[in-house]
Amino acid sequence: MKTTQTIFQDGDHKWVAIVRDPGRQDYLIDTNEYLVTHSGQGLLVDPGGLEIFPAVFSAVATEFDPSAIAAVFASHQDPDVISSLALWLEFNPQMRCYISWLWASFIPHFGGNASTFSAIPDEGAAISVGGLSLQAVPAHYLHSSGNFHLYDRTAKVFFSGDVGAALLPSEQQDLFVKDFSAHIRHAEGFHRRWMGSNEAKRQWCERISQLDIDILCPQHGALYQGKDVQRFIDWFDTLHVGVLRG
Amino acid sequence: MTEQLTVAAGIEPKGSALDLLHIVRINEEIKAVVAVAFKINIMALNAIFLAKRAGTAALGFGVLSNELRSFSGQLRETMLSLNGLIHASVGEVSVLLLDSRYSSIFSAAAALVPASARLRSVIERREARTAEYRAKLSVLRRSLRSSVEDAFRLVELGGVLAKSAKIEAAYGASFSVSLSQVSGEFDGIVEEIRGSLDTLRKSRFFRG
Ligand SMILES: [Fe+2]
Ligand SMILES: [Fe+2]
Repeated sequence: MKTTQTIFQDGDHKWVAIVRDPGRQDYLIDTNEYLVTHSGQGLLVDPGGLEIFPAVFSAVATEFDPSAIAAVFASHQDPDVISSLALWLEFNPQMRCYISWLWASFIPHFGGNASTFSAIPDEGAAISVGGLSLQAVPAHYLHSSGNFHLYDRTAKVFFSGDVGAALLPSEQQDLFVKDFSAHIRHAEGFHRRWMGSNEAKRQWCERISQLDIDILCPQHGALYQGKDVQRFIDWFDTLHVGVLRG
Repeated sequence: MTEQLTVAAGIEPKGSALDLLHIVRINEEIKAVVAVAFKINIMALNAIFLAKRAGTAALGFGVLSNELRSFSGQLRETMLSLNGLIHASVGEVSVLLLDSRYSSIFSAAAALVPASARLRSVIERREARTAEYRAKLSVLRRSLRSSVEDAFRLVELGGVLAKSAKIEAAYGASFSVSLSQVSGEFDGIVEEIRGSLDTLRKSRFFRG
């Protein structure tokens, strides 16, 4: 089972990170899922792959009634992000799925029907969770061509999908980045290879620097907190991406 | 025909995956029979012309050739109707394959969260649906099996026709050598089909 860690709480407004699955098979990439709750409603952020559904479901259940999850947010179309959709929908057919309009007709191959999807336009959109307004922030080509991050202005938490991801050695179990320069070595190859556009990256760094962010939450690896958030943005800004090797 | 379908070492297909492999084998066999049935049709046409040239000495042979020709047509139709059943079975088995994968994931979730009543009801719903899929598949299994039996009986009749043609060939006077050759070929081919269909009826799919 995965572990849950509350990374933000103010009354019933919460961000819960669902991380580190000791039972996960080595051939599956390790992922972080996030649960945002407000006024008794939940939004599951990048709910993860089919195979890890039991681990994510049970972790969620320790924190929150899974039937109160009203929607899932999928940053992009990858299987590690959203291939569990059919199972979540079977558990709760009313659940909605927010995803880029670009993928709205592709994701039903994983599950769902015409009434399941809320297609996010390229410029982004507001997503409400129990009256709390979250912002889907455009991050196209980082890495997917229809890609969104999720910003909670109130909690100052920013979910950054595959941006900020690090493929950490298994002995590194810390939730937050402890030593930025040691950590970022595990992120470099990933960002060079997976991020496709230097121009998109430049614009993203500029826009995200303007936001007030306490915690930056990637889909893989440790979370960035405090000064490490801007450190990461600066590092990413100077990194040359879209490189096959090197 | 190839008996062995290769699977990755160490991975033994079971349940619906095994059913799918058996269906694929049945389908290959059906394709082979359809191809041969077409061959009989051409051969029978040639035999009809040969019998015409042989005249009164080959009247009986001509009648049998006509019968063999309509036999090949019937056989082809029977085999094509099996295709429809095969198609439907593949559909049902694929549904069951996905179903069993999802069910096992839900059971794993329920083992971790035994208190979730909603999860239990999802699993109960699944079990009911799985039973429905299985029932549909066993209806298809039975239809397929009885169609294969029909085809087998038809081919036995074809065998009788081919053997009678062999006897008739002997009365073909100066044509008897060529008539014997043709009827021998008929007999060989019908035996080949008989063998294929016999393999089909014994398919482990019907034991599932
Ligand atoms: Fe991805
Ligand atoms: Fe990812």
